Amino acid sequence: MSSNGPVIVMEAPEKLSHSEARAFLVELQPLLESDRPRIVLECSQLQHMDSAGIEMLLNCMGEAMKRDGDIKLASLSPASAAILELMRVDRLFEIFETAEEATRSFQAVAVPEAAPSLPWYSSGYGFADLKSAG
Amino acid sequence: MGLGAIVVPGERYRSTPAAAPDNTNLLLSQPLAYLDIAGRSPVERTIERFVQADVDAVSVLQDEASFRGMKPTFASFEKVEFQTVPDPYPAIQRKMREFSRSGIEHSFVLIGNSYGETDLLDFFYFHREARQVATQAMNREGALDLWVVNSSKAQACDPHGVFADPKTIGSSYFIREYVNRLRQPCDLRRLAYDLLQRRCTARPSGREVKRGIWIDEGAEIHRSARIVAPAFIGRGARIMADTLITRNSSIEKNCCLNYGTVVEDSSVLQNTEIGICLDVCHAIANGNRLLNLQRDVVIEISDPTVMRFSLPGKPVAARGWARKFSLFGRHEQEQSAPAGLQPKTSPPVQHRLETNAIKR
Repeated sequence: MSSNGPVIVMEAPEKLSHSEARAFLVELQPLLESDRPRIVLECSQLQHMDSAGIEMLLNCMGEAMKRDGDIKLASLSPASAAILELMRVDRLFEIFETAEEATRSFQAVAVPEAAPSLPWYSSGYGFADLKSAG
Repeated sequence: MGLGAIVVPGERYRSTPAAAPDNTNLLLSQPLAYLDIAGRSPVERTIERFVQADVDAVSVLQDEASFRGMKPTFASFEKVEFQTVPDPYPAIQRKMREFSRSGIEHSFVLIGNSYGETDLLDFFYFHREARQVATQAMNREGALDLWVVNSSKAQACDPHGVFADPKTIGSSYFIREYVNRLRQPCDLRRLAYDLLQRRCTARPSGREVKRGIWIDEGAEIHRSARIVAPAFIGRGARIMADTLITRNSSIEKNCCLNYGTVVEDSSVLQNTEIGICLDVCHAIANGNRLLNLQRDVVIEISDPTVMRFSLPGKPVAARGWARKFSLFGRHEQEQSAPAGLQPKTSPPVQHRLETNAIKR
């Protein structure tokens, strides 16, 4: 599994209320419209967030997921973490300590390839192997 | 030989200031001792202890700066006199003079928010045998701002000096029983925890309807709400459908928890309304402010549908937050929650405790 485009790290503003959320969405919109948008929001400066701000984040995540991408949060300030927790939104996002960790999480995850000759339910051991083990 | 008591709530006049800057002013607008915890304020519980110790007169002196227009109610105590004063120390001296004139020779003086459960009469006898002007109480954490003072002798001293000069104080009385210094909001939460866990002799107000669940008079709890012991629901509180109150949480008087909200290891202070489907965990909620104790941060919620000071008979409207779920729900509705998350349309069957009046 490999990525198609770069991971974009964006810094969230200090405040995400109605007007700020709208302005931030204008910045974010072109990125969301790309193929497989992979965005990390660096939230260390984010101190105030209201329902409009959270709704914007959820909408963006929905848009990104529609295009097979994702939005991940990093470096949450204590205030923004407390708000997300209060609103039960923290469990909807992947949250990382740093933007680097979040970026790395987008990288390919090595999936061990199953032997093509074996069916999916096979353990990979042949009958002879089991006999010799016994 | 009479006994008097003078209580000066608030942090400003404590002899030892708080160790670190705290979130008290951000979260609260009145002294910690005045806030109800498990049904009653620490100052009210302290006054009750003085009354039980046969103290003849109790005087509460509140400085004008921390008073901020709110008068605490001590309606249940006849002997209690409440005064607002510009500077408590001269007021303490005046009060002791008054006590002395009316035949009260010794006074307990409590300055600050501390709540302790010591044997007050034993403390008094210790002071009398020590033959000193003032005896200070202490516990294993150090000196407490609780004294027994000889009213007539203290009049000759500088009012500040009586409570600061070690020569005047002499030997101290050691308290082994429960003490909570109530310096910061987290101490308020600890008091709630200790009351619910029976770590102190005081108990939450109201009736213990099940082991560890105290419910005060007039609380309305929806049939589908779940309360896990130990927990406290205060007077006139309204607990709506599908809420969960767990892990030593206290919901104080006239609070309202709306549909689907979880309160875990938290205290919701009086007159606070919490909106629908929220998680209040490891926190103290007061009106539209919330102190998250794990992250040590106070957040102010500007959206009144999320948190606000409660208005009697007006539950938070289920708008706004309902929309956030529409992103993930199968029934895409712009202005309302998915069917499974909507409050039931039929009027809720409430468990009204007024029908079984609780007598204290």
